[in-house]
Amino acid sequence: MDADVLIVGAGPAGLACALHLSQLIRKHNEAGGKPELSTENIYVLEKGREIGAHQLSGAIMDPVAMRELVPDFEKAPPFDTPVSSDAFYFFTGKRAWKSPVTPPPFHNHGNYIVSLNKLVKWMGGLVEKEGVNLFTQFAGANLIYENGGIAGVITEDKGVDKNGKPKDNYTPGYELRAKVTVLAEGPRGSLTKQLVIKYKLDGVNPQTYGIGIKELWEVPAGRIEPGWVAHSLGWPLPLDIYGGGWIYGLKDNRVSLGMVSALEYRDPLFDPHMAFQQYKTHPFVRRILEGGKMLRYGAKTVPYGGWYSRPQSSMSGGLIIGDSGSLLNSQRLKGIHTAIKSGMLAAESIFDALHAGDTSAEKLSAYPKKVESSWIKKELWAVRNFHQGFQHGFFRGMFSTAMQQISGGRGFVDPARANPGYEEYRKLNRGPELVDQSGRFKGDGSLTFDRLTDVFHSGTRHEEDQPCHLVVLEPDICGNRCVREYGNPCQYFCPAAVYEMVKEKDAARLKINASNCVHCKTCDIADPYQIINWIPPEGGGGPNYEGM
Amino acid sequence: MKILAITEQREGKWNKTSFETLAAAQQIAKDVGGTLAALVIGKSVAGLADELAGKNISEVLLVEHELLGAYTPDGYTLALKQAIAQTAPDLVVLPHTYEVRDFAPKLAASLGKGMIGDCISYRHENGRLIFVRQMFQGKTAADVSFAVAGPWFATFQAGAFRADLVAAHPSGKAAVRKIGVELKPEQIRTKPGDLFREAKQAVDLTQAPIIVAVGRGIKAPENIPLAERLAKAIGGEIAASRPICDEGWLPMERQIGSSGQTVAPKLYLALGISGAIQHVVGMKGSRTIVAINKDQNAPIFEVADYGIVADIFEIIPALTEELEKSKAS
Repeated sequence: MDADVLIVGAGPAGLACALHLSQLIRKHNEAGGKPELSTENIYVLEKGREIGAHQLSGAIMDPVAMRELVPDFEKAPPFDTPVSSDAFYFFTGKRAWKSPVTPPPFHNHGNYIVSLNKLVKWMGGLVEKEGVNLFTQFAGANLIYENGGIAGVITEDKGVDKNGKPKDNYTPGYELRAKVTVLAEGPRGSLTKQLVIKYKLDGVNPQTYGIGIKELWEVPAGRIEPGWVAHSLGWPLPLDIYGGGWIYGLKDNRVSLGMVSALEYRDPLFDPHMAFQQYKTHPFVRRILEGGKMLRYGAKTVPYGGWYSRPQSSMSGGLIIGDSGSLLNSQRLKGIHTAIKSGMLAAESIFDALHAGDTSAEKLSAYPKKVESSWIKKELWAVRNFHQGFQHGFFRGMFSTAMQQISGGRGFVDPARANPGYEEYRKLNRGPELVDQSGRFKGDGSLTFDRLTDVFHSGTRHEEDQPCHLVVLEPDICGNRCVREYGNPCQYFCPAAVYEMVKEKDAARLKINASNCVHCKTCDIADPYQIINWIPPEGGGGPNYEGM
Repeated sequence: MKILAITEQREGKWNKTSFETLAAAQQIAKDVGGTLAALVIGKSVAGLADELAGKNISEVLLVEHELLGAYTPDGYTLALKQAIAQTAPDLVVLPHTYEVRDFAPKLAASLGKGMIGDCISYRHENGRLIFVRQMFQGKTAADVSFAVAGPWFATFQAGAFRADLVAAHPSGKAAVRKIGVELKPEQIRTKPGDLFREAKQAVDLTQAPIIVAVGRGIKAPENIPLAERLAKAIGGEIAASRPICDEGWLPMERQIGSSGQTVAPKLYLALGISGAIQHVVGMKGSRTIVAINKDQNAPIFEVADYGIVADIFEIIPALTEELEKSKAS
């Protein structure tokens, strides 16, 4: 079955693309346009159990794009609450210094605190109403490469056991061909990764990432106002790690809090999950949470690279949009609005292409051109060198940010170069014995938690009898080289306790608890040898970010 | 339209879905106004052919050969290809069984024809036969029809038609026609071994009054028998937390926890289980929980009624010995 358009990933970008394209098609058909197009020929693939299940963000949304997509959206209530106040803090171990002015990128008046899960579910409903085919629990396993571009997707095989043998319910993947395939997989999409490598689509800079770890809490009444927003820098993150914390007050005494750390730190044994747990013990944070209850947990990577890390995003039969296309504003740490806008611009380009019966590279290059002439470019251009400035520490970052502020984003060097974060690790040059894990952070069970307890609250679940979806290309490296050079950082950067080094007889071996995976993709990004390949597990597996 | 329904038997016993397919074929024949023949293939299957003759069909085709005693994809394909050449059907229908899945695509391909597999129904519209099959695990149904000349091949999903609706022959019996086929042993490239059914140990842990569960503390697969001996001595079932089943030290069906079974036995003996929440949710309803763990801070002790802070390798053998002694006396 051939589609007109196949969108991989039902996040804000993919669904905005499907919705806007449906709107254009409806208008076209109502006006008697020829050839008649059908929204039924738009397919959306989503690996999650249901729409929204894998959506995780802070999140504060700039409503600019949503107003363009659904002009009266503010009447519908998928959003938690408007931002009522925002503040910016610098944390030391004991104190929280409030910045006398909130830096402009953190001005959030007029923005909304949203649950990305609820927002995307709501968008999914609108898309479904348009007659688009949404296929949940299906992942794209491979791309169909054709004419120097792409021609569709092969979905994952289902019903395969641990050893790769078909089970009773075996169903081979479907070959879904489409005139236009849109990759909207979010950060570090597994298909986007294949595609960028195959056609060498990398931009000026390689993509750089952060990992965001979040908990959703319910706290005693009166602790926090709905709409209250605080961002912080500093403790417990060392100054060479770019990142910070957030605390957002939601309705019904719920609190969204979390921490983002850039995946480009020096210490290979840095543990982003533990840093977040420590963050909650800061008096400022503890005061809000104490006596409350953690409801949910999640982790997801964030693409920081910005304008200069955009891959080439159009080709014959294919487009790359949203976070997969590096359209997040890393200074404001916002990407929902740019994701939605990029989906809409993609939809316009696709509509023209379908209408003309021409989905060549030439025709689809209209999409990046539209991005160039939209407000996305304006917004991202001003901060094009922002994140690179922080690759070598906080103070240099602040200084180059200041320089960029007065030079319209140019700064000292333009484009400022970035290197992949995994190259930053300091070598430990230690012995062959495994790093002792007995002292790992356990948490107190009420304010702070160990990783397994948190993972439980992510609701993650996978079919247990299936091949491991974390493919280690050269497993010998783990026990022979990595342990000596870096002390196996996979045991630290993974926020879901997936990776574990075990000693067996005399050999050390990597044990992968794949069913703990929350699909954040950190391992694929942060492994120093780049030998972990994250591929989608059987569709429907993964976290359940209900309400997150 | 000439329709041919191919049935399936093994060692002279019917695969019941053959009659579902026969029911489908009868309906199609009625709808399109065609004739229906049913085919039985094997060695010494004349008795089955005779049984088929009692159904409402125009004739039974009997394909017998010494080399068709056991199923082989080569033997079946070659024989059926000859039978099809001799009878020239327009449509061949088969039950969507494991065996059919194995040979039918090969048969269709060897004739250069198409096959629509695993159909759940069909429609006859404007003189065209349309077959319906599921996609995306049943989320959508696709209409599929043949674009080229027959013979067409279609297989029907088990349960798609009702075997009890097969109509009997209106006036006695249909004729049985023997179809001669030529097969040489060297044409058959596979040699079937003995038939066997994989023994499936159906263990229902939810019914077990006593469960002895092991966790990471058991350290190595060599130590599992220690716990198994204890389970036997105490009259319980052996079970485990996920890491143990993940490693394949015990089968997955013995896994307790959020990704395994949820149990509530009278007695739950947790050996070397730390008590991660993922495990605890699967066993916290147990009436009495006894935990043995070296780490006195292990969270399992929060749900345990009795706790022993000790090395399981000291406790298990001693406990087993005492239980065995008391049983013997």
